[in-house]
Amino acid sequence: MFYSIKEFIDFLPMILVASGILLSITIELLSKRSVNILGWFSVILFFVVGIISLSNTGSQSIILQNMAATGGYVNLFYALFNFTGMLVCLLSIDYLNKYEASFGEYYILVQTSVLGMMLMAAAKDLFVIFLGLELMSISFYVLAGINRKRHNAIESALKYFLLGAFATGFIVYGIALIYGTAQSTSIDIIASKFINLSSNILFITGILLFLIGFSFKIAAFPFHMWVPDVYQGAPSTISALFSTAGKTAAFAAIIVSLFALFSSGASKIITPYLSVISILSMFFGSIVAISQTNIKRMLAYSSISNAGYLLIGLASANTEGVAGVIFYLTAYSLMNIGTFGIVSIIESKEEKNLEINDYMGLSNKYPLLAALLSLLMFSLAGIPPFAGFFGKYYIFMSAIKSDLTLLAILGVISSVISVYFYLRIVVFMYFKESQIQLEIKKSFSGMLALFLSVLLIIVLGIFPGGFLNIINSTL
Amino acid sequence: MENNYLLTYLIFLPLIGSLFIFFIKNDKISLVKYYGLFISLITFILSLIIYLSFDSNSSDFQFIHKFKWIEGLNVYYFVGVDGISLLLILLTTFITPITLISSWSSIEHKVKEFTFFMLVLETGMIGVFASLDLFLFYIFWEAMLIPMYFIIGIWGGYDKIYAAIKFFLYTMLGSLLMLVAIIWLAVYSIDILGEFTTDFTQLLSIAPTIKRDLQIWMFLAFGLSFAIKVPLFPFHTWLPDAHVQAPTAGSVILAGVLLKMGTYGLLRFNLPLFPDATIILAPYISVLAVIGIIYGALVAMVQTDMKKLVAYSSVSHLGFVVLGIFAINTESVQGAVIQMINHGLSTGALFLLVGVIYERTHTREIADYGGIAKLVPFFSFSLLFASLSSIGLPGLNGFVGEFLILLGSFKSGVLNSWWFTIFAATGVIFAAVYLLWMYQRVIFGELKNSKLEKLYDMNSREILVMIPIFVFIVWIGIYPSTFLNLSEKASKKIIYQVFNPTTTFTNKLK
Amino acid sequence: MRELIYLTVFLPLLGFLIIGIFGSKIKSEKFIGTLGSSTIGISFLITLLAFFETLSLPIENRKFIITLFTWLKVGGLDVRFSYLVDQLSLVMALIVTGVGFIIHVYSIGYMHGDKGFWRFFAYLNLFIFAMMNLILADNFVLLFLGWEGVGLCSYLLIGFWYDRKFENSTTADAAKKAFIVNRIGDFGFLLGMFLIFLTFGSLNFEEVFSRANIFSVSTATFGFIALFLFIGATGKSAQIPLYVWLPDAMAGPTPVSALIHAATMVTAGVYMVARCSIIFASAPQIMMIIAIIGLFTALFAASIGLVQNDIKKVLAYSTVSQLGYMFLAMGVGAFTAGIFHLMTHAFFKALLFLGAGSVIHSMHEEQDIQKYGGLKKYMPITSITFLIAALAISGIPPLSGFFSKDEILWYSFTNNGFLFWLIGVLTAVLTAFYMFRLYFLTFEGQERFGHDKHPHESPKVMTYPLIILAVLSVIGGFIGIPEVFSGEHGNQFHNWLSPIFVDAERKLLKFGFHTHLEEIILMVLSVILALGSILFARYVYLKSPQVADNLSDKFSRVYKILWNKYYVDELYEKLFVNPVVNLSRNVFWKFTDGKIIDGLIHSIAKLIDLFASIFRKFQTGLAQFYALIMVFGIAITLLWIILSF
Repeated sequence: MFYSIKEFIDFLPMILVASGILLSITIELLSKRSVNILGWFSVILFFVVGIISLSNTGSQSIILQNMAATGGYVNLFYALFNFTGMLVCLLSIDYLNKYEASFGEYYILVQTSVLGMMLMAAAKDLFVIFLGLELMSISFYVLAGINRKRHNAIESALKYFLLGAFATGFIVYGIALIYGTAQSTSIDIIASKFINLSSNILFITGILLFLIGFSFKIAAFPFHMWVPDVYQGAPSTISALFSTAGKTAAFAAIIVSLFALFSSGASKIITPYLSVISILSMFFGSIVAISQTNIKRMLAYSSISNAGYLLIGLASANTEGVAGVIFYLTAYSLMNIGTFGIVSIIESKEEKNLEINDYMGLSNKYPLLAALLSLLMFSLAGIPPFAGFFGKYYIFMSAIKSDLTLLAILGVISSVISVYFYLRIVVFMYFKESQIQLEIKKSFSGMLALFLSVLLIIVLGIFPGGFLNIINSTL
Repeated sequence: MENNYLLTYLIFLPLIGSLFIFFIKNDKISLVKYYGLFISLITFILSLIIYLSFDSNSSDFQFIHKFKWIEGLNVYYFVGVDGISLLLILLTTFITPITLISSWSSIEHKVKEFTFFMLVLETGMIGVFASLDLFLFYIFWEAMLIPMYFIIGIWGGYDKIYAAIKFFLYTMLGSLLMLVAIIWLAVYSIDILGEFTTDFTQLLSIAPTIKRDLQIWMFLAFGLSFAIKVPLFPFHTWLPDAHVQAPTAGSVILAGVLLKMGTYGLLRFNLPLFPDATIILAPYISVLAVIGIIYGALVAMVQTDMKKLVAYSSVSHLGFVVLGIFAINTESVQGAVIQMINHGLSTGALFLLVGVIYERTHTREIADYGGIAKLVPFFSFSLLFASLSSIGLPGLNGFVGEFLILLGSFKSGVLNSWWFTIFAATGVIFAAVYLLWMYQRVIFGELKNSKLEKLYDMNSREILVMIPIFVFIVWIGIYPSTFLNLSEKASKKIIYQVFNPTTTFTNKLK
Repeated sequence: MRELIYLTVFLPLLGFLIIGIFGSKIKSEKFIGTLGSSTIGISFLITLLAFFETLSLPIENRKFIITLFTWLKVGGLDVRFSYLVDQLSLVMALIVTGVGFIIHVYSIGYMHGDKGFWRFFAYLNLFIFAMMNLILADNFVLLFLGWEGVGLCSYLLIGFWYDRKFENSTTADAAKKAFIVNRIGDFGFLLGMFLIFLTFGSLNFEEVFSRANIFSVSTATFGFIALFLFIGATGKSAQIPLYVWLPDAMAGPTPVSALIHAATMVTAGVYMVARCSIIFASAPQIMMIIAIIGLFTALFAASIGLVQNDIKKVLAYSTVSQLGYMFLAMGVGAFTAGIFHLMTHAFFKALLFLGAGSVIHSMHEEQDIQKYGGLKKYMPITSITFLIAALAISGIPPLSGFFSKDEILWYSFTNNGFLFWLIGVLTAVLTAFYMFRLYFLTFEGQERFGHDKHPHESPKVMTYPLIILAVLSVIGGFIGIPEVFSGEHGNQFHNWLSPIFVDAERKLLKFGFHTHLEEIILMVLSVILALGSILFARYVYLKSPQVADNLSDKFSRVYKILWNKYYVDELYEKLFVNPVVNLSRNVFWKFTDGKIIDGLIHSIAKLIDLFASIFRKFQTGLAQFYALIMVFGIAITLLWIILSF
């Protein structure tokens, strides 16, 4: 099925993950204490794959009979998924015992979801996107409810499943309409036909339905309703995965499917839609987050508003926009992994210590954790010199470049609002004294993940140049 | 041109130094203090070296250090100083060790963190004054909020959280709009220079070509963030809260340096970048400044809390500075520059003194005092001296600044009306009213409050802190040329840029 | 010697620094007193030598400038620390250092045993330093430095006994009042300077005055400059409407009242007007205003002086009144006469205050003249010198006051007409009356003080200064004998000062022709009236005291008004102070800051919170509801497409 060795190498990341899954299943079957083995195994697997795909961005090629592409930003997305997965697994290793969900399947499902994401990013055909999407989503549904004994987990899993299926329906319907009008599901062909199709209302409807479906996945207003409940119910590490890799995958899908169209002036139709939902998401997210008392719910709303910022990048429909989105996705993934990581470390048995009040006076007993968390908060709030700031800067830049200055201004205003609730955490940790001191068992792997993400946040914040060049070189 | 690393060393020395604090054991508190002081003193010496090798006869930026920082965005790490920024940097490096000494005994818990934040703050402040790339400037400008936020929030007073958040959000809102404006400028530069740049020196040559109404928008976007920092009426309400809640060191830094960033920003960026807008808006801004002068003074007069009183007096004094800047002539601008320094010294001294007495009595209510002159003679003298310098008594620093500003604004062609000066000059009267009234109620009269009887005078450490400030207060008052000469060329250049904007580029309209 | 003139400025400064820094350590009053006085004494000698040196020079090179260093050099502004020695500044310097020295010596006795002895001499030296800057300055800014400096010293010295009560408030209040009222004047002075700089492009006397002669400047501009400067003068020299601080300034130790609030500082305004004579002469309308305000102040203050019982209060109002005379002189263009009166007044008013001090000293801080009486036999020197001073101020020939005051009256007659002269004379009459009311109630008549008091003559260190001043009060006038008597040499004092005012007088040129006869008639008239009122006072307060009571009963309403000083303080309180304070507290601080600005911010925050609490309601947890919301979203989107097509 391969035409050349090169194609094989380009395809390697996906092959590795796929075979990794099979290997994991066998380990799961054979070993009793599979959990610990699988944990570290998937960490290594993701790391290796991440490195390979990152080192291989140069060689672009279309494979599998024009079904999938490799190289370029596709590989960047690969790397992003895998590294995210790696960090999540690192966090999970100790978390699972605490969460009483020490099952090997956990890691296998994480792997499958990552494979799904990689398919979405690589797709050159709408059906491949759909395939990847389903693979990812279904793994997510299961992961959300991985601990059968937890009712809220089950509930969140069910909600996620129902609404997710609902949203997927629209994606399929959108694809159907597109196929019906463009007589093809191949993205390139659709792009080439776009000019004369753009006047066809059904075609446009299809594209928008397709977008709406993904708007659900990226948790954009008004398709965000599931987010708070699911994030809160699911295991913290899994919420981390949803909010980072999940979002990234959905954006990847939008980018691969629409990036081609941007050039052919789809922005006229898409930009207004994206702008509107981005504004709504930003403000809705940042405003409602203020009234949250549970930190996971708060992060859920923050992820809604961040979806808004990312959409600005897409709305501006230029290469800077895409580059900005990729950069911000990277930064955002790191920040969220870090934050959820700390949440998962501080979280105790029976999911206690998830209220913001529990963080009162944290700085006195755990100065390190407090420092890391406040750093993450500042980065999320978009304060320099951290990655979060630079991501926002780049996205706003792209908006202003395509004369969406108003969008940028609204963006900064909403980020001022968001500053309030991010800093609230810092206030609780540093400016307030608490009577009850919470007991925290720091885990090596967890801290490792934390340090990695925080370190990268600082590095990307102060020297974004290198990574930026990589991104730009792939566009 | 080849690079001069000295300035970079100066900027990052405190930051690097601050990191090593965490290698000191928690229990070695005095070591931490000495270490922090040591670092800040080295920084001060370094800044003196820069001062000594600075050529005040040139209006160009000196000690330039420039290299490509962010490839994709063509952002440069680009620092350099002219007379104005050098003066403010000297003020910063001078004030920081003083604040560290002043909080020697007032800060008991989390000394390590405190010293750390102070040093980080110093880096931020120096960076703001030295940056010549707007992106870099913005980074320092924002990053500096973090340590200040912690200093207010952790070591602050009863209502510290409210104050800290108010301070943060207020400044954040302003500066984010400035960020949009910065990006806008950089994008605009693509049309003209063909490259996306935030290099200040390059933008200087293109920004003036923006057509007028857009210039006004840009001016306002920049201006708002600076106006909030200054703070210009009516954006001043964060200041009293921040000042009252912040620990002494925080207030001193806040008044001494942070507020100057606002005026510095107006002078450095708004004037030369948007000359047309400047000339159009100057009268309006000046009106706000004059309102600030009178309003601040009057409100200060009726305060019952010493710190709040001094805080409002800052509003009044900074109003003078802004008026001087927007009168746009050599006298007024030079006056504004020297007044920035003056305010740093006088108000800094006042805050330190309030801190000294607060440390002993734990009250800042004026009503709780009275008749302490006998008990604390040196304190009384110091308070009087600082007040007089702040009142603008000739022979002390305050007079030089105010006189030049008023003189300049009176003959200003841009404002072109006596009324600005006439109203502003009433501030000179009110300053005497609120400060002497406070002084009288605190120092004079009979000793009523029995709690005060065991009040003891300033100790050698506190005196040591005061003396250098007083030396400069007199120095500037009697022989200001030392400082005026430093900034003269720079001020003249800015004024020139306002009236003769560089039109090397055809006026491409965006 | 002229090139050493700057020593007269810096010796006092040195004295201030030494005493100020080490004073608290030094126990010996003798040392501090000697040091403090000698710095001034030496300054006086230097000035004296400089004076004779100048005298020996031909008129055209009598002006001499010594520059120390540049102070403010910015743009067009170039201000230096440089001192101007000329006829005018020399006269002033002699008065200040001379009288200053005498009062320093006096203070050694008066302040003996006070715990703030060293502080007192430190401040006094600082004052002389500032005052010398004021009068020797060769530019407005340096003058202003002195101007504010003396204000500061006056502040410090009024509040010297900072923990004492003064009338119904505290000394600190009086001090603050003095400083702030002066500041109001300074506000005008500043504007004057700015306008001068704007008009003449310099603040240096030389340049400004020469340009004032050459430049074609509108009368209006001159008017504004003169007006602004005069506002400054009214503050410093206690003229209506800013005189209110001077009576309260009596809260300070008596030598201070003598030196600062009678002899020297308060005359700074007069000096400044004289110094800027050319500018004022170019603004006739303002000259008229000055004359009127001066005249009115003189009468007004004298009338209050009639009924006051505090010995220092009476003298204070008399000072205000005499200053009024000097401004009358300035206003009618008799600059020399004004300066002349300034000098003689410095002698006899200082003497009066020191005499009063000597009395208060021996009466254990008792200041109410109703509780004095018959002190003559206890303190002969004091009473005699006091009598001399009283005669001098009442303008009884041939004492100094006669010549100076009469010259002023004469000029106001010739330049501004009979009415001015009349009111001037009326004031003189009142002056004579209240001065002798004071004298008789204090030194003559029966003793009205309790037996706890043991009045005694003051020590030599206090009486010698009295004697010296008494001598000066007697002979001080002879240097300015009008040519009516002196014949062809003319008025010496005139000849000495005329070069300073020649330009101004040329500008005025309104000296109508008047005969010597008129002059003599008026002179005699005024003297007779003054003597009359002295005798009346004697009759009322010595022969038949009940008359006084009858009078005060008969005119009880008038009496009450005078006793309460026309309620001016209360008026100002109601008119300015209270409104401003209320405005600031309630409207600005509480309302604008608290309600409007912060209110706005807080309401935005509240609004956001409101939205938050509303929107989170949508998070019902019901999946089907979520789905519904999604459907809405989709529906709207599709609708939008359909419409947009």
